[in-house]
Amino acid sequence: MRNADTTTRLAVTGVGIICSIGRNRSEVWKSIVESRPGIGKLSKFPGETFPTDVAAEVGDIDDLLPVDKRATRRMSRSDLLAVIAATEAIEQADEGATTALPRNRAIVSTGTSTGGLLEGESFFFDRLVRGRRRVASSRVLQQPTSGPSDAVARALNLGGGVLSNATACASAGAAIGMAGDLLRSHHADVAIAGGSDALCRLTYSGFNVLQAVDDNPCAPFSAGRKGITLGEGAAYLVIERWDDALARGATILAELCGYGATCDAHHPTAPHEEGRGAQAAMRGALAEAADGQHVDYINAHGTGTLLNDSAETKAILAAVGGDVPVSSSKSYFGHTLGAAGGIEAVVSVLALQHQLAPPTLRLDTPADDCTLDYIPHTPRPMAMTNVLSNTFGFGGSNVSLLFRSAS
Amino acid sequence: MSRVAITGIGIVAPGAVGIEPFRALLDAGTSAIAPVERFDTEGLAAHNAGLVIDFKARDYIPAMKLRRMNTLSRYAVAATRLALDDAGTTLPNDAGVALGTAFGPVQTSVDYMQEYVAKGAALAPPQLFAESVANAPGSHIAIDLDLRGFNVTITQRESSLLAAAMFASGQIVKGTVPSAIIGGVEEVNEMVFSVLDRLGALAHADGVLPEGMRPFDARRNGMSIGEGSAMFIAEGEPSRAPYGWIAGFGIARDTTATISDWGTGDAHVATAMQAAIDDAGISISEIDAVYASANGTKRGDLLEIRAVQRLFGDDVPPVVATKAYFGEYAAGGGLQLAAALLAMRDQKLHASFGFDEPDSHMRFAAVRESRPAKLRNILVNSISAGGGIVCAVIAKERA
Repeated sequence: MRNADTTTRLAVTGVGIICSIGRNRSEVWKSIVESRPGIGKLSKFPGETFPTDVAAEVGDIDDLLPVDKRATRRMSRSDLLAVIAATEAIEQADEGATTALPRNRAIVSTGTSTGGLLEGESFFFDRLVRGRRRVASSRVLQQPTSGPSDAVARALNLGGGVLSNATACASAGAAIGMAGDLLRSHHADVAIAGGSDALCRLTYSGFNVLQAVDDNPCAPFSAGRKGITLGEGAAYLVIERWDDALARGATILAELCGYGATCDAHHPTAPHEEGRGAQAAMRGALAEAADGQHVDYINAHGTGTLLNDSAETKAILAAVGGDVPVSSSKSYFGHTLGAAGGIEAVVSVLALQHQLAPPTLRLDTPADDCTLDYIPHTPRPMAMTNVLSNTFGFGGSNVSLLFRSAS
Repeated sequence: MSRVAITGIGIVAPGAVGIEPFRALLDAGTSAIAPVERFDTEGLAAHNAGLVIDFKARDYIPAMKLRRMNTLSRYAVAATRLALDDAGTTLPNDAGVALGTAFGPVQTSVDYMQEYVAKGAALAPPQLFAESVANAPGSHIAIDLDLRGFNVTITQRESSLLAAAMFASGQIVKGTVPSAIIGGVEEVNEMVFSVLDRLGALAHADGVLPEGMRPFDARRNGMSIGEGSAMFIAEGEPSRAPYGWIAGFGIARDTTATISDWGTGDAHVATAMQAAIDDAGISISEIDAVYASANGTKRGDLLEIRAVQRLFGDDVPPVVATKAYFGEYAAGGGLQLAAALLAMRDQKLHASFGFDEPDSHMRFAAVRESRPAKLRNILVNSISAGGGIVCAVIAKERA
């Protein structure tokens, strides 16, 4: 087997994103600069009796679909979000380049935790009422979590392969890291890597019964934090080997230079109290990046739960130190679950490009167990070379990605 | 070039628990696919599946831990313990875990939604929600064995297991971890079975022949599905004589595939097969057998037939179709790899159960009878509905 040689540099040449604060990267970045969150009252699922009613929803996306209506009939909402974001990313990667991306060698690597579960729920309810013989099975063709990768590849005619990563909330981070290694080992020449997840009843209910949802917009790292705000969205990066990107005349936005993946091996849903696996993931990403020991900013997992924010703070202190500014962009667009690693990777790349660190909104009083510089309220202009993006999930899975400024 | 040793295999399969019972099932040439009693199939065209019957989770997992696990997690943890017993080793705690599953926790999600309907959105059981994520089995394995390396779960339809194996093997070669659990897990349930049946994907009686999964056969009309778990101990430096070595992977996508079916792009499949051979650092003439993806679907098998002939021309090595022993998706695809590794260890090809009359497009015959064979390298194919393709080469020798 060819080795994923870590001296092979990886270039990010396109990013695409859709979430509750914007339907493309310009809108998202404008919201971040203006400290404008996208969290409101849950409008989906009227009539359901959830204990909380706060969410970070994307809204109607019909006008954004880059493929014709017929092609979208059998796609789930997660699939559609994925296609929108991936299309934006690919368009940027080709913008101004002398040679287009080799789509026949482009792999799609998507992280998702819900896939088409939203549509699966409707199918389930209809079956309960009407019986299994009266409900069209074609409605759940895209329920499997392979749906978003398949949909992106189909919509954009990509022939390099499809991978779907369902590692709970660490899914998209893992999908990006995995794709990077496949480029380094020359199993593919281009990767469209990211994540997509749509809000659905099961996850909205599930996090509520775990008492992990804040009844107000989430306030990561704050003294009054009570849990997450659930969100939805999708984001993708176009990643190529550095030399290939240069040869194509592509504009390089950032470098993906480190990837660390670990497991707490501690508890099915709770993080290790000292952030044992998170520490190891961050150290792994730093070790993989030559000269990557200095981190200028950390885009934290920062969910807003009591356990996560405390454990992540301890992990950062142990692995990186207490001097590096940290923030949670989930305070803008909520926890997008399997998509989080992709959405926050794109935010990290945008932060590097603009040399502006996103803040943690609603952080009036940091909690006693959250002792870092969390960049409260407003973005902070700062010189950044290396940005670490953390993504952790159920099952104790942890992924850290290290991005470096293209310049 | 580097290779990864498989030093232990754990099996919780239809008709067999443990690697030697699984070998015996294959050697006997009998299928574990049987009429479904777990749920009602009345009114459906298909009635058979490969189900795990004679398995008692408490024989492998303490009762305290069992209460926290759904069926998938029980299969996976038990198979992992069997794999470690088979290898006669323990793993260091920096080892990783990479699992594949096509459908994952569909039954747990159904169970959760039934509680949601019965009790309300605020009162469904949190334990079911915790098990409704696809990576719950991998998490339980990590907790059970204190494995702190990577822990990922791949859900890429029929290619799930080989995709997980590709990732984990790559991490061992890269030096991120010294060893890993690679595996697959699947559960057959009424929801998946009936949906596939309604889509016409399942093998069924046709008025002439009884229901049966017939890979590469001219009379095939669909797949049977299976479940269970297969776990593989993968090591960079083997702790014992291995079954075989994972030598290379190729990945591609058939751009002609539809959302729910196989396409006609045999060149894409051939590309993935050739890529795996190249990655293994061997030539096409060094492939001594193909363990096929064939699952008895009309389009899927025809696609693979054409791809094999495109790649090998008139010199097709022996081709073995194993899925009619245990069903498509069984162990997330892991039983097909387990069969190929047994073939490598035992230097013996298995019979292609269900294959009798060759498809009219075939210029080769699938292996009909089990027979000894000199096997240096075996190509293992996984070709998914929707277009995903992952192929692997396993080798007898390290180099």
